[in-house]
Amino acid sequence: MSTRHIAIAIGVAVVMAVLAVVLGRYGAYLVNAVAIAAIGALSLNLLIGYCGQISFAQGALLGVGAYTAGNLGNAGLDGAVAILGAGVLGALVSALIGLPAMRLRGLYFAIATLAAQAILEYLFKILDPLTNGVSGLVIKPPSIFGIPMTSDESLVLPSLVLLVIAWLVVSRLLRTDLGRAFLVVRESEIVAKGMGIDVGHTKLWAFLIGGFIAGMAGALIGFANRLASPEAFTLDLSADYIAMIIIGGLGTWPGPIIGAAFVVLLPEVIQRVGEAAGISDILSALRELAFGLLIILFLIFEPRGLTALLSRIKLRRIGVVPPAGLRATGEGSQSPEGRSR
Amino acid sequence: MALTASDVTIHFGGVVAVNGMALDVMPGEIVGLIGPNGAGKTTFINCLSGTYRPNTGTALWQGDELIGLSPSALLRKGVARTFQNVASLHDLTVLDIAKLGAGVRRDRRTGGHLLDFFRSDRALEELLMESILAPLELNDVAHKPIQTLSYGRRKAVDLARALAGDPQLLLLDEPVAGLTSHEGMAMAAAVRDVRDRHGCAVIMVEHKMDVVMSTCDRVAVMAAGSKIFEGRPAEVQADPEVRRVYLGEP
Repeated sequence: MSTRHIAIAIGVAVVMAVLAVVLGRYGAYLVNAVAIAAIGALSLNLLIGYCGQISFAQGALLGVGAYTAGNLGNAGLDGAVAILGAGVLGALVSALIGLPAMRLRGLYFAIATLAAQAILEYLFKILDPLTNGVSGLVIKPPSIFGIPMTSDESLVLPSLVLLVIAWLVVSRLLRTDLGRAFLVVRESEIVAKGMGIDVGHTKLWAFLIGGFIAGMAGALIGFANRLASPEAFTLDLSADYIAMIIIGGLGTWPGPIIGAAFVVLLPEVIQRVGEAAGISDILSALRELAFGLLIILFLIFEPRGLTALLSRIKLRRIGVVPPAGLRATGEGSQSPEGRSR
Repeated sequence: MALTASDVTIHFGGVVAVNGMALDVMPGEIVGLIGPNGAGKTTFINCLSGTYRPNTGTALWQGDELIGLSPSALLRKGVARTFQNVASLHDLTVLDIAKLGAGVRRDRRTGGHLLDFFRSDRALEELLMESILAPLELNDVAHKPIQTLSYGRRKAVDLARALAGDPQLLLLDEPVAGLTSHEGMAMAAAVRDVRDRHGCAVIMVEHKMDVVMSTCDRVAVMAAGSKIFEGRPAEVQADPEVRRVYLGEP
């Protein structure tokens, strides 16, 4: 975490806050949605982009956060306590999801997370006293530090504050031994082991930290929607988050935020265009298709996502043409052969 | 005696890769391990460094048994190794890798990671730059990603990583293989320099005989999983059996 990172993170948050104020209620709703999605994407980027553990259970993990915060908030606790509680439970559940990673690698582990997603979805439906079954848990508007959160406008501030904290925590983390160990585990577990890195221990920490951030993001989703229901936290949501980090740029610093903004705002844009042209029914069906297509295109042409795309455009504008095959990758690092994984 | 390995045997299915291998190493001594391809040199190193678990055998290091310990436990005991092929690690700079090497020495299963979070590593960076990277001539590339370096320099980075953990026993697997002869000699000089400064014992698997002759204090020759000769470099070159199985007649 450098001073530049701090300045950029705060700058982005300030711009988003100004947009929320200027654009009114709908703008505040969008800013809030982007900020929360960005926190969730940061957590998944930590796990997939930096530590190389592919998880399809992010949707359910966000659900755990939403249900936990909802129950704690409904019980009369302050929203801040509820968010922290959601983080703690998110971390614990995430560590459980990560347990198979001690034995399984790559795709095999990814399939295990698919099972975890299915089990959690099922639990949301049957744990009636905590989740209110299929009809969903109605969440009362909480107060955060005594300030009532009755609208999207009021939630923007806590969401943006958490976004900045999560963003900077993740970037600081990567400058510690643990963060460097994540990167080695991602490249090769055999190399990591040979270098004396405790691979299981490293993965466990990735799941704990990622889960904590995801739990807090889930809490904010619950507070924003005022409802936590099983159909809100399905595999579709997991897929959205994977789309965010791939489109934004796997394992890049600004990727999760760019990707979250893109994935949250694209459907809104499609909707507006559709309404203007009078074909909104057809276009809204195109949403899933558009994301699927984008993921494939990015994986083929720019595995480092929009982040790499943007920095290439920037380099070209200031007159530096990167040599063929050497792509600038956002954070001052270069990977000559791209990221062929 | 710093290291006493005896009766180390490992077989994979029906193939006996190392058969009753024994080797003693004194503190501050550089021992070369040579022999034809498939003799079991790297496998023997793998047994000592926790990569493989031999079927039988002991390796006592300052009175402690090494066999059965994981690579991370071995590093905490001061046993480090380098690799024949250097992995390319995206996003990590040379300095990052040296820091990783320094970090694995510390045991932080108790949650010391959280302390790292608030600790500046500027002091560690300066120490590593000065005492590890500078002697290996890696100072100028300290902030470059490792995959942008030449193969020779990557090998130097791997050695720097091992040295950053302040080892007392250093296992080098073909440190100069694939290097130009100039790079190879520089690497050999670095190994001697490391021994002189850190006083660590070194076991070095190597094929390049000029490097072995000029670097090692003692040479052990392996063939078919066993030690067939051990002695000073000059004695090894003169031994008829070693000439027959490995060096060839001049």
